[in-house]
Amino acid sequence: MSIRRALLLLALTASVQVDARSIHYGAVEHDALLACDKLNWRGDDAAEACFGDVLASSAPAAVRAEAAWALGDLHAANRLFQAASKTSPEDPAILTRWGDLYADSHQDAEAMDIYREALALDAQYAFALLGAARVLVGGFDEAANTYLEPLLTNSTMHPGARTGAWLLVARVALENDDLDEARHNLDRAETLIEDNDWPPLEPYALRAALDLVDGVRDSEWPARALAYNPRWGDIHAVPAHFYVISRRYRDAIDLYQKAVDVEPGHAAAHIELGVNLLRDNQVNRARRALETAHDIDPFSPVAVNTLRLLDSFSNFSLIQFPDGPAADGEVPIVLRLHKDETAAIAPYAIDLTRRSIEEFTQRYEFELREPVIIEMYPDHEDFAVRTAGMPGIGILGATFGYVVAMDSPAARSTDQFQWGTTLWHELAHVFTLEATDHLVPRWFSEGVSVFEEWRSGPTPGVKVPIPVYAAMRDDKFLPIATLDQGFIRPTYENQVIVSYMQAGLICQFIDERFGEDKLAAMLREFRDGANTVDAIERVLDLSGPAFDREFDLYLDIEHGSILAALDDWQELQTEAARAMSASDWAALEDAANRLVELHPTYVEPDSPYLMLAKAFEESDRENEALTALRTFHELGGYEPGALKRYASMLVARDEPSLAIDVLTTVAMVQPLDNELHAELGKLFLETDRAEDALQSYEIVLAQGTFDKASAYFNIARAHRALGNDDATRDNLLLALDVAPGYRDAQRLLLDVMRGDNNDNE
Amino acid sequence: MRRALATVLIALPLTAFAESAVVIVQGLGGNDTYQSAFTEQVTAIEAAVETLQPQPAVRVFRGEEANRAAVLEYLATLADSMSSRDQLHVYLVGHGSFDDEEYKFNIAGPDLTDQDLLSAFDAIPSGNQIVVNTSSASGAAADVWQAESRVVITATRSGVERHATRFGEYFAGALSDPAADVDKNEIVTAQEAFNFADRMVAESFESAGNLATEHARLDGDRAARFSLARLTAARTQSGDARLTSLVENRDEIAARLESLRLSRDERAPDEYQRELLGIMLELAEVEEAIERRETELANP
Repeated sequence: MSIRRALLLLALTASVQVDARSIHYGAVEHDALLACDKLNWRGDDAAEACFGDVLASSAPAAVRAEAAWALGDLHAANRLFQAASKTSPEDPAILTRWGDLYADSHQDAEAMDIYREALALDAQYAFALLGAARVLVGGFDEAANTYLEPLLTNSTMHPGARTGAWLLVARVALENDDLDEARHNLDRAETLIEDNDWPPLEPYALRAALDLVDGVRDSEWPARALAYNPRWGDIHAVPAHFYVISRRYRDAIDLYQKAVDVEPGHAAAHIELGVNLLRDNQVNRARRALETAHDIDPFSPVAVNTLRLLDSFSNFSLIQFPDGPAADGEVPIVLRLHKDETAAIAPYAIDLTRRSIEEFTQRYEFELREPVIIEMYPDHEDFAVRTAGMPGIGILGATFGYVVAMDSPAARSTDQFQWGTTLWHELAHVFTLEATDHLVPRWFSEGVSVFEEWRSGPTPGVKVPIPVYAAMRDDKFLPIATLDQGFIRPTYENQVIVSYMQAGLICQFIDERFGEDKLAAMLREFRDGANTVDAIERVLDLSGPAFDREFDLYLDIEHGSILAALDDWQELQTEAARAMSASDWAALEDAANRLVELHPTYVEPDSPYLMLAKAFEESDRENEALTALRTFHELGGYEPGALKRYASMLVARDEPSLAIDVLTTVAMVQPLDNELHAELGKLFLETDRAEDALQSYEIVLAQGTFDKASAYFNIARAHRALGNDDATRDNLLLALDVAPGYRDAQRLLLDVMRGDNNDNE
Repeated sequence: MRRALATVLIALPLTAFAESAVVIVQGLGGNDTYQSAFTEQVTAIEAAVETLQPQPAVRVFRGEEANRAAVLEYLATLADSMSSRDQLHVYLVGHGSFDDEEYKFNIAGPDLTDQDLLSAFDAIPSGNQIVVNTSSASGAAADVWQAESRVVITATRSGVERHATRFGEYFAGALSDPAADVDKNEIVTAQEAFNFADRMVAESFESAGNLATEHARLDGDRAARFSLARLTAARTQSGDARLTSLVENRDEIAARLESLRLSRDERAPDEYQRELLGIMLELAEVEEAIERRETELANP
């Protein structure tokens, strides 16, 4: 046994997730074992004893490993496969089944290593090709095709492996919404299954899923599957997955519940039930489902991660808006925020949410029917677990319907993340999902969200990253009919972000060219079951290809100049970087001016306006620096350091109102910055906005300031400006309790108390 | 802490009768960036010392002058001239090192070792000593220098924290920053400056998403009694009977405030608030009267 394999053993004992042993379609040939399998595939209680007998028998180790696996004893199965592999080190079948054990335990990398070992022994060993293809398809790796191709084209390959291959491509076709292809693939699999008298359960489950995707009600396949095996939970769990990937979480919950009702020991279905209940904000029921899953499979990483996350909810505050009953037409808002961040984020989040609801209700002609729940996680991995049960996802936010989960501002650096814009984006999803009963295509939902970031978000302005322009120039945009593929199965690096931007540009195009009511009209088409091409035809009176041509023309008009100058842009950026590092401000100014000519609206962190501001500031040309920063801000620039400098210049020039606007933009990026709130409080007081000043100063205090006396004093000043004398006095006492000799506080206290006395006279 | 602050309010005038000596040693920067940073910090400390009343004797060692012999010789002269009631403030601004046995403050020529300085400090009879060492690895020296009569502030908690520190920049900044003056008495004490700098260091690492490589340390329980800087001009001693009476009145009110605070847990919240308000108003009024009298005396 290699050292590598020894490590694998440790891994298997440490982190297995029990899944039922899959139907193997002849990968294992042993009469006694096959007899047990047949009982098991029929849901017969006698299967357990049968497998027990095989395990206790003198059958070969590889066969007993299968029995142990079927009985859920993965440790024993692993040991027995190890022994079998020692005895027959040149047998690819034993290695492959061992790999399957690892794959079923969600240890894909290790499984892949074993399949490669098997294929090194026999490059055409069909079940090893199938195992490798399964792992790679699960990882969205195109290399899967290399392994699948011989199985799908070579009829001399083992029919069981070919069956598995056809089922695999049927599932992929279904996920890609290619129903005809899925039917064809299922037909091929079923023919092989019938010819070999294997159980038809997996095709049944996929046909049930196909009916679901195709909108067929009362599918015949669940009944047929349960007639064959009344404990076959996957007949519901497999279709449920297709509800999940189309974001119909409540429908998925119903099916997962049916799955665990039929098969109470189906750990994976309990987990999915729990995860999806959480997406529907059914926290207590989710906890119960996950605890059940954990009892069945104590090592399931998804169950353990999610239960730990639920335990951490005690560190979060629940903020409800409004406090009391909502007025007619008012949508209640619930925030789940970490206690350390609640004070700073809640006021801004409530304001943004209210404004977005007002904006989107009017624009998309749809009224929300339930409270909107927003959760923000300061630890990105908590957000990942909340979203997918596992750490490691790269997205910033996710919307499950009325529930939005996202990174909090503390989870990422500000150059990666504008929390206010992310929240705005997610809230647009709430509308597109709910207005269509979750039937909206992915591209349209993302497109509307991106478009609304640009059109109405907290830092408006079209922001397209340069790599997306490169993709545009290289003709990598997809036809509208297949744009969803760019999100679901990307084929090149950055395709997902390219697809986001393409979708946003399409929505902008529709809005500008065809009228602002057309996006809402398309939502209604999607709600009624139309696909993308149908919706485009009905609302815009264009075929898919005709739309693509019109969109290309639009891109050429709107973005043609930058597309033609991308190489120059890159060269000038390099030139500017060189000038910056050499502190050659004249050269930096020159490069920046030429960059502005090429792309006058570019306000990402490498914006030429920031270069200009830097060059001017270093050359003591403050007026010109101010102008550059003003343009940057007006175009939607959000880089906090630059905006704070700009605000300081404005304060120095006695333009407090504009400084407030600029610092409010910074708060959409860095709401946890206490100095920012202190400065805002000061400016609000100066401009007679005492209510806003009070909010800012209360944030300063709640965030934990070093200088508590000043914080209380400033709150007192805001109350004084609002005429709240009792609150003024109380806060002054708090300030003086910290700093008894605080003269400013003493003076204000005397003013307030003397004012009271005057009132009483 | 609450009790300590009130005590300061009453006790500060007493310290004004003692003599003070301030010694500032600027170590080697090693490169222009650190050299310039240390110079700025020493300048800020000098400026802070100038705000103190009465003016202490100040000696600054920098460049070639900051050598082991000169520093130790000067400290030896203080051993001869200072009394037990006097205050000694020592600032060491620069880089330090620790070889698991001995701490060294890096200066031109032979470094100053922890034992060199311990001997010098122990020889000075001042019963009120404060040593602020902002160098890397300075925590190792704190282990050696701590004594009942001495407050020791270091940028690191041990000799293991060997990276160049940020503490000195924030400590020097605290001496002129109103935000450091948490009790708003216009005086920045050693305790306030330490608290401010300690927090700013932590925030600077946190905001950059880095693990902190230094953790400041304060040994000794009298840091709140050391005034390191005044934020506004000190009130002059006039000998005016009316003013003296007002100041005595203020001190009496402050004593009652302290007494009220100590009894806080024994009182109903409403009763406490009512009495607190009454005393705070008295305090505010007497401070107002003091200010008025001071103005009258200044503009007869």
